[in-house]
Amino acid sequence: MNLAARLKPFDTPLTLVGAVLFLALLTGLLGIPLLTRIVTVMFVSLILVLGLQLYMGNSGILSFAHIGFMGIGAYTSVLFSMTPAAKELTNSNLYPFLIPLHLPFLPSLLIAALVAAIIAAVLSYPLMRLSDAAAVITTFAVLVIIHVVLVHWDRVTNGPRTLFGVDSYTTLWTSVISCVITIFAVYLFKESRIGLRLRATRDDAYAAASIGINIVLMRWLAFIASAFVAGVGGALWAHFITSFSPYSFYLTETFVILAMLVIGGPSSVSGAVIGTLIVTAAREVLRAIENYINILQIFPGGFFGFTEVIMAIVLVVILIYRPTGIMGGRELRWPGRRRLSPPVEQEPVRNRNV
Amino acid sequence: MSDIPSAEPNHNALNIQGLCKYFFGLRALDGVSFSLSRGEILGLIGPNGSGKTTLINVVTGLLPATSGQVFVDGTEITNKKPYQIAYAGLARTFQTIRLFRELTVLENVEVAAVSMGLSRKAARQRAIEILEEIGISRWSEMLASVLPYGLERRVEIARALATQPKFLFLDEPAAGLNEDESEELLQVLSSIPARKNLGMLIVDHDMRLIMRLCNRLHVLNFGKTIGMGTPEEVRKIPAVLQAYLGKTVAGV
Repeated sequence: MNLAARLKPFDTPLTLVGAVLFLALLTGLLGIPLLTRIVTVMFVSLILVLGLQLYMGNSGILSFAHIGFMGIGAYTSVLFSMTPAAKELTNSNLYPFLIPLHLPFLPSLLIAALVAAIIAAVLSYPLMRLSDAAAVITTFAVLVIIHVVLVHWDRVTNGPRTLFGVDSYTTLWTSVISCVITIFAVYLFKESRIGLRLRATRDDAYAAASIGINIVLMRWLAFIASAFVAGVGGALWAHFITSFSPYSFYLTETFVILAMLVIGGPSSVSGAVIGTLIVTAAREVLRAIENYINILQIFPGGFFGFTEVIMAIVLVVILIYRPTGIMGGRELRWPGRRRLSPPVEQEPVRNRNV
Repeated sequence: MSDIPSAEPNHNALNIQGLCKYFFGLRALDGVSFSLSRGEILGLIGPNGSGKTTLINVVTGLLPATSGQVFVDGTEITNKKPYQIAYAGLARTFQTIRLFRELTVLENVEVAAVSMGLSRKAARQRAIEILEEIGISRWSEMLASVLPYGLERRVEIARALATQPKFLFLDEPAAGLNEDESEELLQVLSSIPARKNLGMLIVDHDMRLIMRLCNRLHVLNFGKTIGMGTPEEVRKIPAVLQAYLGKTVAGV
């Protein structure tokens, strides 16, 4: 009884973490390699979606730049985690001073996240005063800039060529532990002093300023934190996939991560988790159907793009019928937390008819 | 600081000196000056379009002033950013209600205390006390978006109070309220300035409320001051009568 009461403020992250751990345990016990692979990628995606939720959900501003910071995290982490021999083998153009760098996986991951956060801090500050369409378009510009730099800075990234020879450090367990930490971190951010003020600016910027909230500063801090999480996601992903190119961090990945968040509901942490689970499951089922149709050769010449088209249609339908996503801004909570209907003893008050 | 030789700004008051706001040719505010002391209730009245809301927006930093100065307790705040002006001790409510719709009533008030530097725990405590005072504590766990209209106004007032302002501007707090609600509002508002030691400026068209609540009135028309004084004095000023009732009725 006492324990339950004490845990109640954390009912949302505990529920979400419980679900994630349950999935991980089930996957681990079944031990099917394909399933393990799908679930591991899902957990990495979940970290990326949670990072995007941290900024987008609390500020109300859509960001396209997120996957760019994932790319920065991926490339930075492998610069530190790869052995000098592997670096010389895979990228002969690399700046000489980068070759001897060699650290274990965890410090590499943390440095990668830090670098992503620092670059985000520098790039984004002037953008944070923008709102609405202007804010969204400029984050898209940031994604393009990062992409072009990754493609052309071949002395760091090996250019547009695939970088291979990355050690496979990310397992089901490293990804699920990272997920658990991220869920708590993102939820605590939402409920922090910064998170609360940022959510106020999301609902009404003028009113927020009138009570002393520095909107630009709040958005900036959230954007930096969001890029940090994206950097973690990128580092985990890089050490799972083990070979990638700058094209891995562009529009396709952006669309997938955004679809997960929008379908789940961007303004709650629960929405991010549920969206990732549902979209991953749906994509795998659709892909299986697509493969089956191809095997049966129902359509001469092959049957491609089915998964993407259906996912896009689902996104459109969700946006029309439930623009706030499946969770609609709510969090999963234990019962008895919150009263959402008016108290009954109150005398009837005139309704708003405008 | 200023090229206009003006009186030493009062160190315990809000001082507005020669405030002008021009929208291209339109002089929305044309040299308005007044001061507001702690504990006082000042009514800012005038016909539609006379510049009342513009004055609030310029003083709180939503619109830049064309010229003139604003001082809070002797410190100039003219053309500072809105959040800096809130820090300086000026809070406001809005003519069109602006609540944080996806936050609960309690969070709406709590966030104002948080933004003044309180921890969430301390802010929550302050919010609970203020909601109690304003008489809406039973609604505190509801989302602001499902609140009835009459209560939305009170949440805005509670939110403004949570910043512990030195001066509070209320932009048409009684708009859209029926007589009972207006009466309740009067009860809530009348005790605030003395209890909180703040100066309150009220803009409203509800003359019954204004006349009963305010110690002093300031009347604007076409951005210019056309009268000031106690409610009784203002009622006798010819220019005020003319602005409100027209030339012939006023007999000017």
